[in-house]
Amino acid sequence: MMDAASQILFGGLFQGSLYAMMAVGLALIWTTIGVFNFSHGVMMMLGAYIAWQLNAWSIPYFIVLPLAMIIMAGAGWLLQASVVRPMIGRPNIVLVVVITTLAAASLIENGALEIWGPRSKQLPTLIAGNTEIFGIGVSLHQIAIIVITPIILLALWLFLNRTRLGLALRAVAQNEDASLLVGLNVTALYGLAFAIAAALAALAGIFMGGYRFMSPVMGADPLLKALIVVVFGGLSNISGPIFAAYLIGFFEAICSYYFGLYWTPALLFAVLILMLMVRPEGLFGSRARGLA
Amino acid sequence: MTPLLEIENLTAGYGRIDVLHDLTMAIGKYGNVGLFGPNGHGKTTLLRAISGLVRARGGSIKFNGTDIANQSARSIVGLGLIHSSQGNRLFPDLTIGECLALGAYTPRARAEEEVNRERTLKIFPKLGERWRQKVRTLSGGERQMVSIGTALMSSPRMLILDEPTLGLAPKIKEELCRAVLDISAGGIPLVVVEQDVEFLLELSQHLYLINHGQVAAEIKPGETMDHSDIMALYFGQ
Repeated sequence: MMDAASQILFGGLFQGSLYAMMAVGLALIWTTIGVFNFSHGVMMMLGAYIAWQLNAWSIPYFIVLPLAMIIMAGAGWLLQASVVRPMIGRPNIVLVVVITTLAAASLIENGALEIWGPRSKQLPTLIAGNTEIFGIGVSLHQIAIIVITPIILLALWLFLNRTRLGLALRAVAQNEDASLLVGLNVTALYGLAFAIAAALAALAGIFMGGYRFMSPVMGADPLLKALIVVVFGGLSNISGPIFAAYLIGFFEAICSYYFGLYWTPALLFAVLILMLMVRPEGLFGSRARGLA
Repeated sequence: MTPLLEIENLTAGYGRIDVLHDLTMAIGKYGNVGLFGPNGHGKTTLLRAISGLVRARGGSIKFNGTDIANQSARSIVGLGLIHSSQGNRLFPDLTIGECLALGAYTPRARAEEEVNRERTLKIFPKLGERWRQKVRTLSGGERQMVSIGTALMSSPRMLILDEPTLGLAPKIKEELCRAVLDISAGGIPLVVVEQDVEFLLELSQHLYLINHGQVAAEIKPGETMDHSDIMALYFGQ
C-alpha cells in the first residue's frame, strides 16, 4: 500500500513537472499572441540537441544549461520574426500560423536530422545517481526535475506579475490596440514571448534528454501532450495549464498503476472529452485571454 | 496661435475601402477641439489614423511641427500625443494600479510618474479607492475613468478622448464631464469626440462636424450655432 502511494506520488510529480514545463511556453504564446505554436515540440528537440552539442565540446554542464536556453531564446525570437510576425493582422491568423509553424517544425526537424544524424543520443543527467525514497528507487535526475520545475514556474510568475516588463506582456495579451496606445513595443513583446517560450521548451527538452534517448523526432509526442495540457487547463491564462499539467501527471500515474500504461492515453482522452463537454473553456479557464 | 496638430488632405481606411477622404483640419488654434457627427462616418478612424493605429494612405499629419503620418504608435505616444480609447476596450484582467503604471511606460512619462499619479487621483479619487480592483469588475463609468486616467499618466501634451461619456447614466456622465473640464483647465489641450454637442460647446469653441469621411462644417469661436442648425447639418435642410 505504502509502495503504491509513493509510486503514484512520485510518478505524478515527475510527469506533472515535465508536462508543466512542456506546456507553459505554449500557453505563454497563446495568451500573448493568440496563436498556437506547432514548432513548440521541435524547439524542445533543438534545445536538447544544442545542449548535447555544447556538452560534446566539453563545456561544463552547469554552463551548458543556461547557454542552451539563451541560444534557444534567440532561436525563438527568429522563429517569431520569420514565420509569425509577417502574418499578424491577417484574417484567419490562428490557422495560418498553425501551418507556418508546422512548416518551420518540419524544416527544423529535418535540419537536425541533417546535422546530427538519426542515431539516438543521450544527455548527461542533471544529477548523477539514484536514491531510495519511501521504498521506491528513483534517479536523482528525476528528483532534480521535480525540484527545478516549480522554481522556474515561480520565477516566471514573479516576472509576469512583479515586473514592469511582465506587466507589459500581460497587457499585450489582453488588448493589442490599448497596448499600442500606451506606447508599448508590441512587436518586441511578441518576440520576447517567443524567446521565453523557446527557452522553457529547451529546458523541457534537456529534462527529457537526460532520462530517455533523443532523436530528431522526439518533439512530436511532447507537443501533443502540451496541447492536451493547455486545452485541459484552459486557454485563458498560464496558471491553468500548470495546474492541469500536475493533474494530468497524477491521473496518468494512477491509471498506469491500476490499469497499466496501455490504457492510460485512452482514459486520459476520455476524461478530456468529458471535461470539455462540461467546461468548453477548460478546467481553470475563463472566456477571455490573458496572462498569469 | 499656431495649431498644435495639423491634418492635411488625409486619406485613410480599412481593406479596400477608404473611410476618410481628403480631410483637412487644424487642431489647437483656438484651444480644445470637439468632433461630432453621425456614427460610422470616420470620427474614430480619424483618431486611429492620428495615433498611428490606422495607416494614412495619403496626406500629412503634423504634431508640433513633426510629421507623424505613418509613424509607429509608440513614437507618437513618445511625442506626447495621447489617445484614450473607449473604456470598454481596456485591459480587463489588469488592476487599476497596473493600468496606470502602464500609462507611465514610456521613458518620458516614467520620469513624471509620481506627479501624474497625484494629478490623476485628484481628478478621479475613485481610482485610488479601487486601486487593486480588476478592470473587468468595474462599471462602465469607472472603466472610462481608468481609460482617461491611464492616458493622463502618459504626460500628454495633447489628449484625444473618444466618446468619454458613451452609454453612461446621466449622473456618472455629469461626473465625467466635470473631470474632462478639470483636465482641460489643468492646461492639457483636448480633442474630444462626443455625441453630446451641448457638452462639446461647454468644452470648446472650435467644432468640426465629420460626415462621409470629410469635414462637413467647421464652427469657429464667435460663430454661434443653435440646435436647429445642428439638426440641419445632421439631417439636411
